[in-house]
Amino acid sequence: MQEGFSSQMGEAQGGVSTELKFFFLLVMCLASVLSALAVGGVPLSLLEIVRGEASKLDLTVFSQIRAPRVMLAATVGASLAVAGAVLQGFFRNPLADPGLIGVSGGAALGAVAMIVLGSSLALPVAFAPFTMPMAAIFGSLCVTGALYLFSNYYGQFRIVTVLLVGIAFNALSSVGIGIFQYISNDAQLRSLIFWMMGSFGRAHWVTTVPCVLAMVSAVLVLITKSNSLDKLQLGENEAFHLGVDVKATKRDLVLLSAICVGAGVAVSGIIGFVGLVVPHIVRFTIGVRHKPLMIGSALAGGSLMVLADLLARVVALPAEVPVGLVTSAIGAPFFLWLITKVKP
Amino acid sequence: MIKIASVSLWLLIAGIAQAGDEDACTPAEDPSRIVVAGGSIAEMLYSLDAGGLIVAVDSTANYLPESKDLPSVGYVRNLSAEGILALKPSLILGEHDMGPAEVLSQISSVEVEVKRIEERHSTQGIVDKFVCIARVLDKEDAAREILASQFSDTVTSLEKANVLSADLPRAALILNFVDNQPIVAGANTSGDGLLRMAGAKNIFSDIEGWKPLSRELLIAANPEHLVVTERALKSIGGLEGMLSDPLLAATEALNADNVHVYAGMSLLGFGLQTLEVALSLKEAIE
Repeated sequence: MQEGFSSQMGEAQGGVSTELKFFFLLVMCLASVLSALAVGGVPLSLLEIVRGEASKLDLTVFSQIRAPRVMLAATVGASLAVAGAVLQGFFRNPLADPGLIGVSGGAALGAVAMIVLGSSLALPVAFAPFTMPMAAIFGSLCVTGALYLFSNYYGQFRIVTVLLVGIAFNALSSVGIGIFQYISNDAQLRSLIFWMMGSFGRAHWVTTVPCVLAMVSAVLVLITKSNSLDKLQLGENEAFHLGVDVKATKRDLVLLSAICVGAGVAVSGIIGFVGLVVPHIVRFTIGVRHKPLMIGSALAGGSLMVLADLLARVVALPAEVPVGLVTSAIGAPFFLWLITKVKP
Repeated sequence: MIKIASVSLWLLIAGIAQAGDEDACTPAEDPSRIVVAGGSIAEMLYSLDAGGLIVAVDSTANYLPESKDLPSVGYVRNLSAEGILALKPSLILGEHDMGPAEVLSQISSVEVEVKRIEERHSTQGIVDKFVCIARVLDKEDAAREILASQFSDTVTSLEKANVLSADLPRAALILNFVDNQPIVAGANTSGDGLLRMAGAKNIFSDIEGWKPLSRELLIAANPEHLVVTERALKSIGGLEGMLSDPLLAATEALNADNVHVYAGMSLLGFGLQTLEVALSLKEAIE
């Protein structure tokens, strides 16, 4: 399948220059962010806000509700897409997805535990907004740490072990989530179900900023690893002989992807298909080298998520659709179409 | 600099925590455009003749014919800040479980008043909730009058039933059947509260919350009365469906024809309709 993709890439790359494609992606990203900032339930004019003529209500809606939300959607989209691109390269498997190595599951388990047990922990009220993100990040770090320990058990960090251990952790997380669903009360169960469907509606500067910083730094560091990731495609021995510190690189790639996914899940719930589909679109149009692939995935993932969230916000006004449903509804058919395009 | 940053962070956090914590049963500053999150609250507003103030309801108010033309803000636990603000509300009046909390704090940050009405699953709880909502609208006298003229007998009879006695009729409340497996009301549920109001003993009060129950346990507990929602009855194929299930048909409740069916929201919404439902159930099981 990898070969199939690569030969298709060769054809796709002819014609328009890469710079132009990046320029187009950048424009698309800016345009989607601007339209997401401009459109919403409360009608407001960006021009008035820039000029300082907007009413206090419009300004608060813009600065406290819409801006953090769009920023969060863009970052989570970018970070899930980059994590997907990295994991697909890392596992040399086009089906690898941030959910696959168990990290989303771990994050979800942490958050779900907090929804159910949070009220009985008697934490100071001031901590309330941080408890869920912290629990989710803790959950994803636990899985990542365990992933690392397990995979090193035989003295080497084998990719297939990571994959199998990830699948086992996913199963364990679903058991944990199931237990919490069972012991939760009616109200907790209902918040839990909506949380699992994913939403950016809870975005708030206090929780958004730390998570955004974590995701942006992880993405930037991942981009610096793109060269080693390219060499890893040749096989681990080959990469080693090309001067790559294979063990350290693999460790960094897994940990950084875990941060991308954990921080994303922590603030927005589970949002499917972006991490799987976006890297494929970018590979299809820009190429398979990881540096342009990651940068392209970040831009495309950000725009796609911002647009999906825009749709989720306005399609059922004054109610709201879970954004995870929108991304899966767009992503799954697109993925099918992609499969028909890439003939083996 | 660090100090300023930490103080402003503190203010932001305090802002999140504060939303809707103060006493809700006080007159609202401006109740002219109300978004209601909770069917029973909408029901009570209509009883108070204040339906004209409602600009939107949530999906739990679907059972009210009066509100069917109003926009829906979605589900009570999954509200959207901008969607609600777009309706230019002056007041958000919601059940104790409306959420998510972050969305309500976003709404309060635009200085729209948010009031969260307490709910207790008892006769007095319903009366208090009605009076509380009336106070928010500054209509307490009207509420007291409605209670005195229309509900005083109901409340008196129900209060009488609430005396604990050793040989109360043993009942179970079934919310729904999922694959023929009943979801029953355990302790700390609205269903448990309703059974107590009607003077029945909930045979599953040792279970916590709403739980799917093995049908075997239902037979072992052998309830004298089964209270089921209309949806539950439909999901098992009506009374014939229940009778054709050998395990269910073996219970005392089915043998003695003691299956009591009510609409879900009137049964468990804990609005004023629930008072009447509880009384009718009480009279049926005595």
